[in-house]
Amino acid sequence: MEEFRVVLLVFISTVLINNFILVKFLGICPFLGVSKQVETAFSMGLATTFVMTLTAAATWLINTYILEALNLPFLRYVSFIIVIASLVQFVEMFIRKSSPVLYKALGIFLPLITTNCAILGLALLIPLNGYNFITSVVFGLGAGIGFTLAIVLMAGLRETLEFGDVPETLQGVPITLILAGLMAMAFMGFSGLISI
Amino acid sequence: MDTKISKLVVTLSVIGIISAIALSFVYQWTTPFIEKHQLEARKQAVRSVLPEAEEFQEKIINGITFFEGFDSSQKRIGVAMIAKGPGYQNIIEVMIGVNLEKDYIFGIDVLSHEETPGLGARITGQQYRKNYQNKPFGDYNVVKRTPQNDLEVEAISGATISSRSVAKIVQDAVKKINEAYGGGV
Amino acid sequence: MLKKIYKDFKNGLWKENPIIVLVIGMCPTLAVTNTVENGLAMGIATSFVLISSEIVISLFKKLIPNNVRIPSFILIIATFVTFTDYFLKAFFPDIAASLSLFIPLIVVNCLILGRQEAFASKNPTSRAIADALGMGIGFTWVLVLLSAVRELFGMGSIFGIGILGSWYEPMVIMVLPAGAFLSLGILVGIMNMIKRRGN
Repeated sequence: MEEFRVVLLVFISTVLINNFILVKFLGICPFLGVSKQVETAFSMGLATTFVMTLTAAATWLINTYILEALNLPFLRYVSFIIVIASLVQFVEMFIRKSSPVLYKALGIFLPLITTNCAILGLALLIPLNGYNFITSVVFGLGAGIGFTLAIVLMAGLRETLEFGDVPETLQGVPITLILAGLMAMAFMGFSGLISI
Repeated sequence: MDTKISKLVVTLSVIGIISAIALSFVYQWTTPFIEKHQLEARKQAVRSVLPEAEEFQEKIINGITFFEGFDSSQKRIGVAMIAKGPGYQNIIEVMIGVNLEKDYIFGIDVLSHEETPGLGARITGQQYRKNYQNKPFGDYNVVKRTPQNDLEVEAISGATISSRSVAKIVQDAVKKINEAYGGGV
Repeated sequence: MLKKIYKDFKNGLWKENPIIVLVIGMCPTLAVTNTVENGLAMGIATSFVLISSEIVISLFKKLIPNNVRIPSFILIIATFVTFTDYFLKAFFPDIAASLSLFIPLIVVNCLILGRQEAFASKNPTSRAIADALGMGIGFTWVLVLLSAVRELFGMGSIFGIGILGSWYEPMVIMVLPAGAFLSLGILVGIMNMIKRRGN
């Protein structure tokens, strides 16, 4: 029961309180780049969540059974990035073969995910936090859902903003950043929600 | 096609092997320095929470490592321990030194944390840590004003959660020390 | 040739500034610019990785087959990042502690990989060095400017030294995540305005 409680708290805290984008600044590039339309933002979020959950599992296994068992901490960054890149490649091939519809929706986003720093950040945070296997996977899932939440909300705001009268100087990147700032402020309200 | 794939594999393997060899040298070169910093930081932390101690000894009771501080006449003047607990963002690690004869805390030192820079991160600052200097044991109350009694701790403005987390860690650590050393020993 | 090198160098400073114009490398830009010290250290660390990997990749570009280009680049970059991480931990432990996660995340900074792909893999080493220096300095000066604004308003200090006296009530929001987004948004807006005036 205690175990379950910890897992649940990790999940809620990663989705809302320590949101990867708005609090930890991980994954800002896709957040700014792929948030013009709700639909594409949602697909991107889905693809990222999928890769994040797999990454959490894979890097936990590698870190525990290879890097720590053989005392090779200096290969952590190199091996994690290889794992992520291969995982993304593998997922891309798998989806292309198994579900052309899903591939059409997610395909173009998959290569972008390798250089999404939220994924490597996630892989690096797991050993730092000392999570066990199940907590790590839940952490990955939560991070993905939090990412999806933020990017979809942002896309919703930007779709509405299309009809707004934005000063010329602030059009494009500046207004998106300012919106993100307002969202980050709103998310600060979650910080007292639970204590880990 | 085959030769092509083998060329790709060879290229990546060569880069990987060169990188691994280079990094193992970097690791060997830097590790002593990193360990020295960590040891130094730990010693410094023990010293800062047991200011009058001349020598230290590690002692393991109930699976917890305690640092006992002795003065120049070999009299034990205090005990320190490292306690961990959840903070606002992540685990906070605190060193706590106590006087067991008179049941009060000498002081605390924050060893590691990931609190918000400029806010929660100020738990490492003198102003917040002063809260725990010569503090009697007990259950602490974190308040957002100047403390009015011995069991109150003044929160850092804008970082109440971090302030409360540290108070909780200290409170629990004191209980553990009391358990290990049997209260009024 | 020399003229070309100078042009490559100047490119990153303003015309194709990685942060303001290309809008890449945003994660560290927002995350570590709460104090000038962090901003400057991050700028230097990123520039070091950028320069070293551009040199290596432009030297060996002919030996790397085209289809494994990207994985090879990432491997080389990750190696330099690990080196930087251990170097900082060994000799500048305080800086390493305050930048923590964002040093390893230089691996996936789109700026680094982007320059390898767009420049170092196509140009001679001398021009790659100029490009890396320009981009590195271009990245660093925006980080320093942004962190100076945030530290000044958020804590009333620069490099940890109090500038605004005790009368100043710090706007804590500036050093929080929200402040990072807001100040960068306004900064890019101002830069856009200056640019438009110039044209």
